[in-house]
Amino acid sequence: MSDKEAQEEKMNCGLSVAQRDLLQARLADLEDTVPPREVWQRIEAQARAEGLFRHRLATGTRWFAGSGIAAAVVLVVLNVPLTTTLVDEPNDNISATPPVAAASTNAVPANLAALMVQSQEIERNLRALPGQPSVVRAGTAATIAELEDRIAIIDYRLNYTRLTQGEAEIYWRERVRLMNSLLNLRRAQAQRMTF
Amino acid sequence: MRSAASKPRDMSKFTDIQIDPGIVKRATRGEAKAHEIIYRAFSAPVYSVCLRFTRVPAHAEDLLQETFMEVIRSIGQYRGDAPLGIWVRRVAVSKSLMFLRSAWHARGQSLDDDWEEMTYEAKPSDVGSDRQDKAMDLDAALASLPSVSRAVVWLHDVEGFTHKEIADLMGKTESFSKSQLSRAYQRLRPLLDVEIEQREARMAVPDSAFGSC
Repeated sequence: MSDKEAQEEKMNCGLSVAQRDLLQARLADLEDTVPPREVWQRIEAQARAEGLFRHRLATGTRWFAGSGIAAAVVLVVLNVPLTTTLVDEPNDNISATPPVAAASTNAVPANLAALMVQSQEIERNLRALPGQPSVVRAGTAATIAELEDRIAIIDYRLNYTRLTQGEAEIYWRERVRLMNSLLNLRRAQAQRMTF
Repeated sequence: MRSAASKPRDMSKFTDIQIDPGIVKRATRGEAKAHEIIYRAFSAPVYSVCLRFTRVPAHAEDLLQETFMEVIRSIGQYRGDAPLGIWVRRVAVSKSLMFLRSAWHARGQSLDDDWEEMTYEAKPSDVGSDRQDKAMDLDAALASLPSVSRAVVWLHDVEGFTHKEIADLMGKTESFSKSQLSRAYQRLRPLLDVEIEQREARMAVPDSAFGSC
């Protein structure tokens, strides 16, 4: 063995450069082992129990309140012209448009109003349900989170985007559909809690 | 100046994984989904490290859980100066070494007793028996090493830790780390020699042996 090789071997704690390169290459090639799926569920349950995750219900409660405001804002915006017409119009003036006709053009369309009422009713039902259990199935939690996110996006659109009545109706209809799904999911969860 | 031969190379899979800063930000706000994304990205390398250190899947699962609980609790302290993987790896390694230490302490032994105490391990001569026809089973060879030596080999040769870093993590001296590595290499050497011999034999086969096109 040459001096150089001896020196290298000493620096590599007894391995030649070739041996060490081979060892490192083989170690790097070793495949990772995937852990069992339930480990994340245990971590998530523990983190929720320790209050480390933002509570979904708390978030939900906030956006329920926010969505209530959203509904109110939309109602007010849509009602304002009608109210103004009714209040500001002098009694002795002959309006070019009959009040009924004015009301029919400015009022919230019946189907839109119905959707808003329906949405508020679902929110009331959701609030009436017991809080989410401390341990939840990962799949259920993910679906609930997904639904809440989508509803939050719709609320943002309803609050901050200028929408035509047709568009508003589409958003409200979708909101009601998503809220219904959420309600069904939360009801199923509450039923499981009772067993 | 250090020779390239002595410098450990970082071949860690942790450093290859990139996490969007937006995800990290969401995780610091306590968003479960963001933490799940981080978990999905790092769970396999963390679990593999824990498994290589402990060899027992149940222990590795516990350590994986402890590692990610620590990540969830402390992600607010992560400043983003280094890749997230480096930080996650540090937590995982620290938890695994703590486990090894506690196991040894529980049995009234110190880390230094590692080699003497591992009487059931395969002897170097066993590892190299069938050397003519046996392909190198490095996982099995690593498993035959005592836990602390196995951890030192992994930290030094895969994760790229220096002897000083390993010594600090283990609460030992650099000499301790070098000695563990040296003894582990001594055991792995016959396997490496077989592999090198086989390679050289393959390279020595003349072109004519493969026929012509």
